[in-house]
Amino acid sequence: MRVTVTNLTFGYDYRTVLKDISFKLNSGDFLAVVGNNGSGKSTLIKCILGINKIPPKRIFLDDVDITEYKNFRNIGYVPQKFDDFNYEFPITVNEILQVSRYNKITEDEKLELLDKIGILELQNENINELSGGELQRVFIVRSLMNNPKLLILDEPTAGVDKENVEGFYKTVNELNKEGITIMLITHNINESKANFTHLLSIHNGEANLKEVKRGDED
Amino acid sequence: MIILATNEPFIFALFEYSFLRYALITGIIMGFITPLIGSFVVIRRLSFIADTLSHFSLAGLSIGLFLINIIGMTFISDPLYLAMIFSVIGALFIEILRGYYQNYKEISMPIVMSLGTALSALFISLSGGFNSSIYNYLFGSILTVGNDYLLLMSVTGIVLILLIVVFYKEMVIISFDEQYAKLLGIKIGRFQFVSTLILGVVVSLSIATVGVLLVSSLMIIPVAAAMKVGKSFKNTVGIAIFFSEISVIGGLWLSYELDIASGATIVLINILILVLVGLFKKFFISKRLKKTQSEITI
Repeated sequence: MRVTVTNLTFGYDYRTVLKDISFKLNSGDFLAVVGNNGSGKSTLIKCILGINKIPPKRIFLDDVDITEYKNFRNIGYVPQKFDDFNYEFPITVNEILQVSRYNKITEDEKLELLDKIGILELQNENINELSGGELQRVFIVRSLMNNPKLLILDEPTAGVDKENVEGFYKTVNELNKEGITIMLITHNINESKANFTHLLSIHNGEANLKEVKRGDED
Repeated sequence: MIILATNEPFIFALFEYSFLRYALITGIIMGFITPLIGSFVVIRRLSFIADTLSHFSLAGLSIGLFLINIIGMTFISDPLYLAMIFSVIGALFIEILRGYYQNYKEISMPIVMSLGTALSALFISLSGGFNSSIYNYLFGSILTVGNDYLLLMSVTGIVLILLIVVFYKEMVIISFDEQYAKLLGIKIGRFQFVSTLILGVVVSLSIATVGVLLVSSLMIIPVAAAMKVGKSFKNTVGIAIFFSEISVIGGLWLSYELDIASGATIVLINILILVLVGLFKKFFISKRLKKTQSEITI
Protein backbone atom coordinates (compact mmCIF):
# COMPACT_ATOMS: atom_id res chain seq x y z
CA MET A 1 0.00 0.00 0.00
CA ARG A 2 1.19 3.49 -0.83
CA VAL A 3 1.02 5.99 2.03
CA THR A 4 1.31 9.71 1.33
CA VAL A 5 1.27 12.26 4.13
CA THR A 6 1.16 15.90 2.99
CA ASN A 7 1.63 18.89 5.30
CA LEU A 8 -0.17 17.18 8.17
CA THR A 9 -0.66 19.33 11.24
CA PHE A 10 -2.69 17.90 14.10
CA GLY A 11 -3.32 18.71 17.74
CA TYR A 12 -5.57 18.15 20.72
CA ASP A 13 -7.44 21.17 22.07
CA TYR A 14 -4.86 23.99 22.04
CA ARG A 15 -1.75 21.82 21.79
CA THR A 16 -0.21 21.11 18.38
CA VAL A 17 1.26 17.59 18.35
CA LEU A 18 2.20 17.11 14.70
CA LYS A 19 3.65 20.05 12.77
CA ASP A 20 3.51 20.10 8.99
CA ILE A 21 4.58 16.49 8.45
CA SER A 22 5.13 15.16 4.94
CA PHE A 23 6.47 11.82 3.71
CA LYS A 24 5.72 9.17 1.13
CA LEU A 25 5.94 5.38 1.26
CA ASN A 26 5.61 3.01 -1.66
CA SER A 27 4.24 -0.54 -1.55
CA GLY A 28 6.73 -2.82 0.15
CA ASP A 29 8.55 -0.04 2.00
CA PHE A 30 9.45 -0.55 5.64
CA LEU A 31 9.32 2.56 7.78
CA ALA A 32 10.68 2.83 11.28
CA VAL A 33 9.18 5.69 13.28
CA VAL A 34 11.35 6.83 16.16
CA GLY A 35 11.03 9.57 18.74
CA ASN A 36 10.79 10.24 22.46
CA ASN A 37 7.66 9.74 24.52
CA GLY A 38 5.09 12.37 23.63
CA SER A 39 6.83 13.27 20.38
CA GLY A 40 3.69 12.48 18.36
CA LYS A 41 4.42 8.95 17.05
CA SER A 42 1.16 7.40 18.26
CA THR A 43 -0.81 10.49 17.19
CA LEU A 44 0.52 10.06 13.65
CA ILE A 45 -0.53 6.40 13.67
CA LYS A 46 -4.02 7.30 14.88
CA CYS A 47 -4.32 9.76 11.98
CA ILE A 48 -3.35 7.05 9.48
CA LEU A 49 -5.79 4.60 11.08
CA GLY A 50 -8.62 7.13 10.74
CA ILE A 51 -9.08 7.29 14.54
CA ASN A 52 -7.99 10.94 14.69
CA LYS A 53 -10.16 13.00 12.37
CA ILE A 54 -8.09 15.20 10.07
CA PRO A 55 -8.99 17.64 7.26
CA PRO A 56 -9.06 16.33 3.66
CA LYS A 57 -6.01 16.11 1.38
CA ARG A 58 -3.55 15.41 4.21
CA ILE A 59 -3.20 11.61 4.09
CA PHE A 60 -3.70 9.35 1.08
CA LEU A 61 -3.80 5.54 1.15
CA ASP A 62 -3.22 4.09 -2.31
CA ASP A 63 -3.96 7.60 -3.62
CA VAL A 64 -7.38 7.70 -1.93
CA ASP A 65 -7.92 10.58 0.50
CA ILE A 66 -8.20 9.07 3.99
CA THR A 67 -11.35 11.10 4.66
CA GLU A 68 -12.99 9.08 1.88
CA TYR A 69 -11.15 5.80 2.49
CA LYS A 70 -13.47 2.92 3.30
CA ASN A 71 -11.44 -0.26 3.43
CA PHE A 72 -9.49 -0.01 6.68
CA ARG A 73 -9.47 -3.82 6.77
CA ASN A 74 -6.44 -3.45 4.47
CA ILE A 75 -4.56 -2.14 7.49
CA GLY A 76 -3.31 -4.48 10.19
CA TYR A 77 -2.65 -2.82 13.52
CA VAL A 78 -0.97 -3.97 16.70
CA PRO A 79 -1.44 -1.43 19.51
CA GLN A 80 1.21 -0.64 22.08
CA LYS A 81 -1.12 -1.40 24.98
CA PHE A 82 -4.14 -3.65 25.15
CA ASP A 83 -6.17 -1.34 27.36
CA ASP A 84 -8.92 -1.19 24.76
CA PHE A 85 -9.35 -4.97 24.84
CA ASN A 86 -11.53 -6.43 27.60
CA TYR A 87 -9.40 -9.50 28.11
CA GLU A 88 -10.69 -10.43 31.55
CA PHE A 89 -13.79 -12.12 30.13
CA PRO A 90 -13.02 -15.67 28.94
CA ILE A 91 -12.36 -15.91 25.21
CA THR A 92 -9.94 -18.20 23.39
CA VAL A 93 -7.26 -17.17 20.92
CA ASN A 94 -9.21 -18.96 18.19
CA GLU A 95 -12.43 -17.12 19.03
CA ILE A 96 -10.67 -13.74 18.82
CA LEU A 97 -9.20 -14.64 15.46
CA GLN A 98 -12.54 -15.92 14.14
CA VAL A 99 -14.37 -12.68 14.93
CA SER A 100 -11.51 -10.60 13.48
CA ARG A 101 -11.43 -12.50 10.17
CA TYR A 102 -13.54 -10.84 7.51
CA ASN A 103 -12.09 -11.83 4.19
CA LYS A 104 -9.42 -13.58 2.21
CA ILE A 105 -7.58 -15.72 4.74
CA THR A 106 -8.40 -19.46 4.89
CA GLU A 107 -8.39 -21.74 7.94
CA ASP A 108 -5.10 -23.33 6.78
CA GLU A 109 -3.52 -19.91 6.32
CA LYS A 110 -4.66 -18.96 9.82
CA LEU A 111 -2.98 -22.06 11.29
CA GLU A 112 0.13 -21.30 9.26
CA LEU A 113 0.21 -17.77 10.72
CA LEU A 114 -0.22 -19.08 14.26
CA ASP A 115 2.66 -21.44 13.64
CA LYS A 116 4.82 -18.74 12.08
CA ILE A 117 4.31 -16.42 15.06
CA GLY A 118 4.87 -19.34 17.44
CA ILE A 119 1.51 -19.62 19.15
CA LEU A 120 -0.07 -22.58 17.35
CA GLU A 121 -0.31 -24.52 20.61
CA LEU A 122 -2.11 -21.60 22.28
CA GLN A 123 -5.05 -21.44 19.87
CA ASN A 124 -7.54 -22.99 22.30
CA GLU A 125 -6.20 -21.18 25.36
CA ASN A 126 -8.24 -18.62 27.24
CA ILE A 127 -6.48 -15.31 26.64
CA ASN A 128 -6.71 -14.14 30.23
CA GLU A 129 -4.33 -16.98 31.10
CA LEU A 130 -1.64 -15.83 28.63
CA SER A 131 1.51 -13.88 29.48
CA GLY A 132 2.05 -10.35 28.14
CA GLY A 133 4.40 -11.62 25.43
CA GLU A 134 1.97 -14.34 24.33
CA LEU A 135 -0.86 -11.83 24.24
CA GLN A 136 1.27 -9.53 22.09
CA ARG A 137 1.77 -12.33 19.58
CA VAL A 138 -1.97 -13.08 19.53
CA PHE A 139 -2.59 -9.48 18.52
CA ILE A 140 0.11 -9.68 15.88
CA VAL A 141 -1.67 -12.70 14.34
CA ARG A 142 -4.97 -10.85 14.61
CA SER A 143 -3.52 -7.91 12.68
CA LEU A 144 -2.66 -10.30 9.84
CA MET A 145 -6.07 -11.99 9.65
CA ASN A 146 -7.34 -9.94 6.71
CA ASN A 147 -4.19 -10.07 4.57
CA PRO A 148 -3.25 -6.44 5.23
CA LYS A 149 -1.50 -4.31 2.63
CA LEU A 150 -0.22 -2.02 5.38
CA LEU A 151 0.89 -3.26 8.78
CA ILE A 152 1.26 -0.77 11.63
CA LEU A 153 3.10 -1.98 14.71
CA ASP A 154 3.16 0.32 17.73
CA GLU A 155 6.15 -0.79 19.85
CA PRO A 156 5.18 -4.42 19.33
CA THR A 157 8.06 -5.98 21.21
CA ALA A 158 7.66 -4.10 24.49
CA GLY A 159 7.52 -6.75 27.21
CA VAL A 160 8.45 -9.59 24.84
CA ASP A 161 11.51 -11.69 25.73
CA LYS A 162 14.66 -11.47 23.59
CA GLU A 163 14.23 -14.84 21.91
CA ASN A 164 10.72 -14.00 20.77
CA VAL A 165 11.77 -10.51 19.66
CA GLU A 166 14.21 -12.03 17.17
CA GLY A 167 11.58 -14.44 15.89
CA PHE A 168 9.12 -11.62 15.62
CA TYR A 169 11.38 -9.44 13.46
CA LYS A 170 12.20 -12.41 11.27
CA THR A 171 8.46 -12.80 10.62
CA VAL A 172 7.99 -9.07 10.03
CA ASN A 173 10.86 -9.05 7.54
CA GLU A 174 9.28 -12.00 5.73
CA LEU A 175 5.92 -10.23 5.58
CA ASN A 176 7.65 -7.15 4.19
CA LYS A 177 9.33 -9.30 1.52
CA GLU A 178 5.86 -10.46 0.48
CA GLY A 179 5.08 -6.83 -0.38
CA ILE A 180 3.31 -5.57 2.75
CA THR A 181 4.14 -1.97 3.61
CA ILE A 182 5.19 -1.79 7.24
CA MET A 183 5.27 1.07 9.72
CA LEU A 184 7.02 0.16 12.93
CA ILE A 185 7.06 2.50 15.89
CA THR A 186 10.02 1.73 18.05
CA HIS A 187 11.79 3.21 21.00
CA ASN A 188 15.03 1.45 20.40
CA ILE A 189 15.97 1.17 16.77
CA ASN A 190 19.18 -0.67 17.56
CA GLU A 191 17.35 -3.48 19.34
CA SER A 192 15.30 -4.47 16.32
CA LYS A 193 16.55 -6.65 13.52
CA ALA A 194 14.07 -5.19 11.08
CA ASN A 195 15.09 -4.39 7.54
CA PHE A 196 13.98 -0.78 7.38
CA THR A 197 13.98 1.11 4.12
CA HIS A 198 13.05 4.45 5.69
CA LEU A 199 13.48 6.11 9.03
CA LEU A 200 11.12 8.83 10.26
CA SER A 201 12.39 10.70 13.30
CA ILE A 202 9.80 12.75 15.13
CA HIS A 203 10.96 15.39 17.56
CA ASN A 204 8.53 17.83 19.17
CA GLY A 205 6.00 17.11 16.43
CA GLU A 206 8.41 17.80 13.58
CA ALA A 207 9.42 14.90 11.38
CA ASN A 208 12.46 14.13 9.34
CA LEU A 209 12.42 11.25 6.83
CA LYS A 210 15.50 9.61 5.50
CA GLU A 211 16.06 6.60 3.34
CA VAL A 212 18.22 3.91 4.93
CA LYS A 213 20.11 0.99 3.54
CA ARG A 214 18.16 -2.25 3.86
CA GLY A 215 19.59 -4.33 6.70
CA ASP A 216 21.12 -7.74 6.47
CA GLU A 217 18.69 -10.25 5.02
CA ASP A 218 18.05 -13.34 7.11
CA MET B 1 -46.48 -15.33 47.03
CA ILE B 2 -48.55 -18.23 45.82
CA ILE B 3 -51.79 -18.90 47.54
CA LEU B 4 -53.34 -22.10 46.28
CA ALA B 5 -56.22 -24.10 47.66
CA THR B 6 -54.42 -27.38 47.18
CA ASN B 7 -51.11 -28.65 48.49
CA GLU B 8 -50.22 -30.75 45.48
CA PRO B 9 -46.59 -30.92 44.35
CA PHE B 10 -45.27 -28.35 41.85
CA ILE B 11 -45.10 -30.83 38.97
CA PHE B 12 -48.79 -31.77 39.28
CA ALA B 13 -49.84 -28.17 39.84
CA LEU B 14 -48.19 -27.33 36.52
CA PHE B 15 -50.72 -29.52 34.72
CA GLU B 16 -53.61 -28.04 36.61
CA TYR B 17 -52.90 -24.30 36.63
CA SER B 18 -52.28 -22.45 33.38
CA PHE B 19 -50.75 -19.44 35.21
CA LEU B 20 -48.04 -21.72 36.59
CA ARG B 21 -47.30 -23.02 33.10
CA TYR B 22 -47.11 -19.44 31.77
CA ALA B 23 -44.80 -18.54 34.63
CA LEU B 24 -42.53 -21.51 33.95
CA ILE B 25 -42.34 -20.98 30.17
CA THR B 26 -41.78 -17.24 30.64
CA GLY B 27 -39.12 -17.99 33.23
CA ILE B 28 -37.33 -20.42 30.93
CA ILE B 29 -37.30 -17.91 28.05
CA MET B 30 -36.15 -15.16 30.38
CA GLY B 31 -33.54 -17.46 31.90
CA PHE B 32 -32.14 -17.91 28.41
CA ILE B 33 -32.17 -14.38 27.04
CA THR B 34 -31.11 -12.36 30.09
CA PRO B 35 -27.65 -13.94 30.54
CA LEU B 36 -27.25 -14.03 26.75
CA ILE B 37 -27.56 -10.25 26.48
CA GLY B 38 -26.00 -9.88 29.95
CA SER B 39 -22.74 -11.41 28.70
CA PHE B 40 -22.29 -8.60 26.18
CA VAL B 41 -23.26 -6.07 28.85
CA VAL B 42 -20.60 -7.43 31.24
CA ILE B 43 -17.87 -7.46 28.58
CA ARG B 44 -18.64 -3.84 27.72
CA ARG B 45 -18.32 -3.06 31.45
CA LEU B 46 -21.89 -1.81 31.56
CA SER B 47 -23.09 -4.04 34.40
CA PHE B 48 -24.79 -1.08 36.01
CA ILE B 49 -26.89 -0.44 32.90
CA ALA B 50 -29.64 -2.95 33.74
CA ASP B 51 -30.18 -1.29 37.11
CA THR B 52 -30.22 2.14 35.50
CA LEU B 53 -32.72 1.08 32.86
CA SER B 54 -34.96 -0.67 35.34
CA HIS B 55 -35.09 2.50 37.46
CA PHE B 56 -35.86 4.50 34.34
CA SER B 57 -38.58 1.98 33.47
CA LEU B 58 -40.07 2.56 36.90
CA ALA B 59 -40.64 6.17 35.81
CA GLY B 60 -42.63 4.82 32.86
CA LEU B 61 -44.59 2.53 35.16
CA SER B 62 -45.36 5.35 37.58
CA ILE B 63 -46.42 7.68 34.79
CA GLY B 64 -48.53 4.83 33.36
CA LEU B 65 -50.25 4.25 36.70
CA PHE B 66 -50.80 8.00 37.06
CA LEU B 67 -52.36 8.25 33.58
CA ILE B 68 -54.56 5.20 34.10
CA ASN B 69 -55.66 5.69 37.70
CA ILE B 70 -55.72 9.49 38.09
CA ILE B 71 -56.26 10.90 34.59
CA GLY B 72 -58.44 7.97 33.55
CA MET B 73 -56.61 7.05 30.33
CA THR B 74 -57.77 3.45 30.56
CA PHE B 75 -56.82 2.70 26.95
CA ILE B 76 -53.29 2.21 28.30
CA SER B 77 -54.22 -1.28 29.39
CA ASP B 78 -50.91 -2.08 31.07
CA PRO B 79 -48.34 0.43 32.38
CA LEU B 80 -45.67 -2.10 31.43
CA TYR B 81 -45.89 -0.86 27.83
CA LEU B 82 -44.91 2.62 29.01
CA ALA B 83 -42.12 1.05 31.06
CA MET B 84 -40.85 -0.57 27.87
CA ILE B 85 -40.85 2.75 26.01
CA PHE B 86 -39.09 4.47 28.92
CA SER B 87 -36.52 1.72 29.14
CA VAL B 88 -35.65 2.20 25.47
CA ILE B 89 -35.56 6.01 25.90
CA GLY B 90 -33.29 5.55 28.94
CA ALA B 91 -31.01 3.27 26.95
CA LEU B 92 -30.72 5.86 24.19
CA PHE B 93 -30.00 8.60 26.75
CA ILE B 94 -27.16 6.47 28.11
CA GLU B 95 -25.66 5.98 24.64
CA ILE B 96 -25.89 9.74 23.92
CA LEU B 97 -24.26 10.61 27.25
CA ARG B 98 -21.56 7.94 26.77
CA GLY B 99 -20.68 9.63 23.49
CA TYR B 100 -20.66 13.05 25.15
CA TYR B 101 -18.45 12.04 28.11
CA GLN B 102 -15.92 9.99 26.14
CA ASN B 103 -13.45 9.60 29.02
CA TYR B 104 -16.02 9.29 31.82
CA LYS B 105 -18.59 7.06 30.15
CA GLU B 106 -19.92 5.66 33.44
CA ILE B 107 -21.22 9.13 34.35
CA SER B 108 -24.11 8.50 31.97
CA MET B 109 -25.68 5.89 34.24
CA PRO B 110 -26.10 7.81 37.52
CA ILE B 111 -27.51 10.74 35.51
CA VAL B 112 -30.16 8.58 33.80
CA MET B 113 -30.85 6.65 37.00
CA SER B 114 -31.36 9.86 38.99
CA LEU B 115 -33.76 11.20 36.39
CA GLY B 116 -35.70 7.91 36.41
CA THR B 117 -35.86 7.72 40.19
CA ALA B 118 -36.92 11.37 40.52
CA LEU B 119 -39.70 10.95 37.94
CA SER B 120 -40.82 7.74 39.65
CA ALA B 121 -41.03 9.40 43.08
CA LEU B 122 -42.90 12.35 41.61
CA PHE B 123 -45.54 10.30 39.77
CA ILE B 124 -45.94 7.73 42.57
CA SER B 125 -46.81 10.62 44.91
CA LEU B 126 -49.15 12.14 42.29
CA SER B 127 -50.84 8.74 41.95
CA GLY B 128 -51.67 8.66 45.64
CA GLY B 129 -48.52 7.14 47.04
CA PHE B 130 -47.20 3.63 47.45
CA ASN B 131 -49.66 0.82 46.66
CA SER B 132 -49.68 -2.90 45.82
CA SER B 133 -49.21 -2.31 42.05
CA ILE B 134 -46.00 -0.43 42.72
CA TYR B 135 -44.89 -3.15 45.16
CA ASN B 136 -45.43 -5.78 42.42
CA TYR B 137 -43.32 -3.81 39.97
CA LEU B 138 -40.57 -3.24 42.52
CA PHE B 139 -40.20 -6.91 43.44
CA GLY B 140 -41.89 -8.66 40.51
CA SER B 141 -44.52 -11.31 40.26
CA ILE B 142 -43.84 -13.91 37.60
CA LEU B 143 -47.04 -15.78 38.48
CA THR B 144 -49.20 -12.92 37.25
CA VAL B 145 -47.82 -12.90 33.70
CA GLY B 146 -50.34 -13.67 30.99
CA ASN B 147 -50.48 -14.90 27.43
CA ASP B 148 -49.72 -11.52 25.81
CA TYR B 149 -46.65 -11.07 28.00
CA LEU B 150 -45.42 -14.54 27.10
CA LEU B 151 -45.83 -13.66 23.42
CA LEU B 152 -43.87 -10.40 23.86
CA MET B 153 -41.11 -12.26 25.68
CA SER B 154 -40.95 -14.94 22.97
CA VAL B 155 -40.77 -12.38 20.12
CA THR B 156 -38.03 -10.45 21.97
CA GLY B 157 -36.14 -13.69 22.55
CA ILE B 158 -36.35 -14.70 18.89
CA VAL B 159 -35.23 -11.24 17.70
CA LEU B 160 -32.29 -11.30 20.12
CA ILE B 161 -31.18 -14.80 19.12
CA LEU B 162 -31.47 -13.94 15.40
CA LEU B 163 -29.42 -10.80 15.91
CA ILE B 164 -26.70 -12.70 17.74
CA VAL B 165 -26.61 -15.52 15.18
CA VAL B 166 -26.46 -13.16 12.18
CA PHE B 167 -24.13 -10.55 13.69
CA TYR B 168 -22.14 -12.75 16.08
CA LYS B 169 -18.72 -11.61 14.83
CA GLU B 170 -19.60 -7.92 14.93
CA MET B 171 -21.21 -8.09 18.38
CA VAL B 172 -18.29 -9.96 19.91
CA ILE B 173 -15.57 -7.76 18.44
CA ILE B 174 -17.44 -4.54 19.33
CA SER B 175 -17.88 -5.76 22.91
CA PHE B 176 -14.28 -6.87 23.35
CA ASP B 177 -12.46 -4.20 21.36
CA GLU B 178 -14.44 -1.23 20.09
CA GLN B 179 -11.37 0.46 18.63
CA TYR B 180 -10.42 -2.56 16.53
CA ALA B 181 -14.03 -3.02 15.43
CA LYS B 182 -13.90 0.54 14.03
CA LEU B 183 -10.77 -0.39 12.13
CA LEU B 184 -12.54 -3.38 10.64
CA GLY B 185 -15.10 -0.97 9.25
CA ILE B 186 -17.97 -2.13 11.49
CA LYS B 187 -20.70 0.49 11.91
CA ILE B 188 -20.43 0.60 15.70
CA GLY B 189 -23.09 3.25 16.26
CA ARG B 190 -25.68 1.21 14.37
CA PHE B 191 -24.93 -1.96 16.35
CA GLN B 192 -24.90 -0.17 19.67
CA PHE B 193 -28.23 1.46 18.86
CA VAL B 194 -29.90 -1.88 18.05
CA SER B 195 -28.37 -3.76 20.99
CA THR B 196 -29.30 -0.94 23.38
CA LEU B 197 -32.85 -1.03 22.04
CA ILE B 198 -33.11 -4.78 22.66
CA LEU B 199 -31.50 -4.38 26.07
CA GLY B 200 -34.12 -1.79 27.00
CA VAL B 201 -36.93 -4.14 25.97
CA VAL B 202 -35.44 -7.13 27.83
CA VAL B 203 -34.98 -5.07 31.01
CA SER B 204 -38.54 -3.75 30.96
CA LEU B 205 -39.94 -7.22 30.31
CA SER B 206 -37.91 -8.67 33.17
CA ILE B 207 -39.51 -6.16 35.54
CA ALA B 208 -42.75 -8.15 35.51
CA THR B 209 -40.93 -11.24 36.71
CA VAL B 210 -38.32 -10.13 39.24
CA GLY B 211 -39.11 -6.45 39.61
CA VAL B 212 -37.25 -3.18 39.15
CA LEU B 213 -34.93 -3.75 42.09
CA LEU B 214 -33.81 -7.23 41.04
CA VAL B 215 -33.64 -7.04 37.23
CA SER B 216 -29.88 -6.56 36.99
CA SER B 217 -29.26 -9.70 39.03
CA LEU B 218 -30.81 -11.85 36.29
CA MET B 219 -28.51 -10.37 33.69
CA ILE B 220 -25.30 -10.07 35.61
CA ILE B 221 -25.03 -12.71 38.38
CA PRO B 222 -25.18 -15.86 36.19
CA VAL B 223 -22.55 -14.28 33.92
CA ALA B 224 -20.39 -13.33 36.90
CA ALA B 225 -20.53 -16.96 38.11
CA ALA B 226 -19.86 -18.39 34.64
CA MET B 227 -16.82 -16.12 34.15
CA LYS B 228 -15.16 -17.93 37.05
CA VAL B 229 -15.26 -21.31 35.35
CA GLY B 230 -15.72 -20.59 31.61
CA LYS B 231 -12.93 -21.64 29.27
CA SER B 232 -14.04 -19.77 26.17
CA PHE B 233 -16.57 -17.10 25.22
CA LYS B 234 -19.21 -19.53 23.93
CA ASN B 235 -18.61 -21.90 26.84
CA THR B 236 -18.98 -19.06 29.37
CA VAL B 237 -22.24 -17.83 27.83
CA GLY B 238 -23.54 -21.43 27.80
CA ILE B 239 -22.68 -21.91 31.47
CA ALA B 240 -24.31 -18.56 32.34
CA ILE B 241 -27.54 -19.68 30.64
CA PHE B 242 -27.36 -23.01 32.48
CA PHE B 243 -26.95 -21.28 35.87
CA SER B 244 -29.74 -18.87 35.00
CA GLU B 245 -32.15 -21.69 34.09
CA ILE B 246 -31.35 -23.53 37.33
CA SER B 247 -32.17 -20.38 39.30
CA VAL B 248 -35.40 -19.68 37.43
CA ILE B 249 -36.78 -23.23 37.52
CA GLY B 250 -35.47 -23.87 41.05
CA GLY B 251 -36.76 -20.49 42.21
CA LEU B 252 -40.24 -21.10 40.85
CA TRP B 253 -40.38 -24.56 42.38
CA LEU B 254 -39.17 -23.37 45.79
CA SER B 255 -41.44 -20.34 45.83
CA TYR B 256 -44.41 -22.63 45.09
CA GLU B 257 -43.46 -25.24 47.68
CA LEU B 258 -42.56 -22.77 50.44
CA ASP B 259 -45.11 -20.10 49.50
CA ILE B 260 -42.53 -17.32 49.25
CA ALA B 261 -41.84 -14.48 46.74
CA SER B 262 -40.75 -15.93 43.38
CA GLY B 263 -38.56 -13.05 42.15
CA ALA B 264 -36.57 -12.92 45.37
CA THR B 265 -36.16 -16.72 45.40
CA ILE B 266 -34.81 -16.73 41.83
CA VAL B 267 -32.30 -14.03 42.68
CA LEU B 268 -31.21 -15.71 45.93
CA ILE B 269 -30.57 -18.98 44.07
CA ASN B 270 -28.49 -16.99 41.58
CA ILE B 271 -26.43 -15.60 44.46
CA LEU B 272 -26.08 -19.06 45.99
CA ILE B 273 -24.75 -20.42 42.68
CA LEU B 274 -22.27 -17.53 42.50
CA VAL B 275 -20.99 -18.28 46.01
CA LEU B 276 -20.76 -22.05 45.34
CA VAL B 277 -18.89 -21.47 42.08
CA GLY B 278 -16.51 -19.10 43.86
CA LEU B 279 -15.83 -21.69 46.58
CA PHE B 280 -15.46 -24.47 43.99
CA LYS B 281 -12.94 -22.39 42.09
CA LYS B 282 -11.02 -21.42 45.22
CA PHE B 283 -10.76 -24.86 46.80
CA PHE B 284 -11.02 -27.32 43.92
CA ILE B 285 -9.50 -25.72 40.84
CA SER B 286 -6.78 -23.83 42.76
CA LYS B 287 -5.78 -27.02 44.62
CA ARG B 288 -5.57 -28.94 41.35
CA LEU B 289 -3.47 -26.16 39.85
CA LYS B 290 -1.09 -26.19 42.84
CA LYS B 291 -0.80 -29.98 42.55
CA THR B 292 0.03 -29.72 38.86
CA GLN B 293 2.61 -27.01 39.54
CA SER B 294 4.28 -29.09 42.27
CA GLU B 295 4.37 -32.09 39.91
CA ILE B 296 6.09 -29.92 37.29
CA THR B 297 8.62 -28.71 39.89
CA ILE B 298 9.39 -32.29 40.94
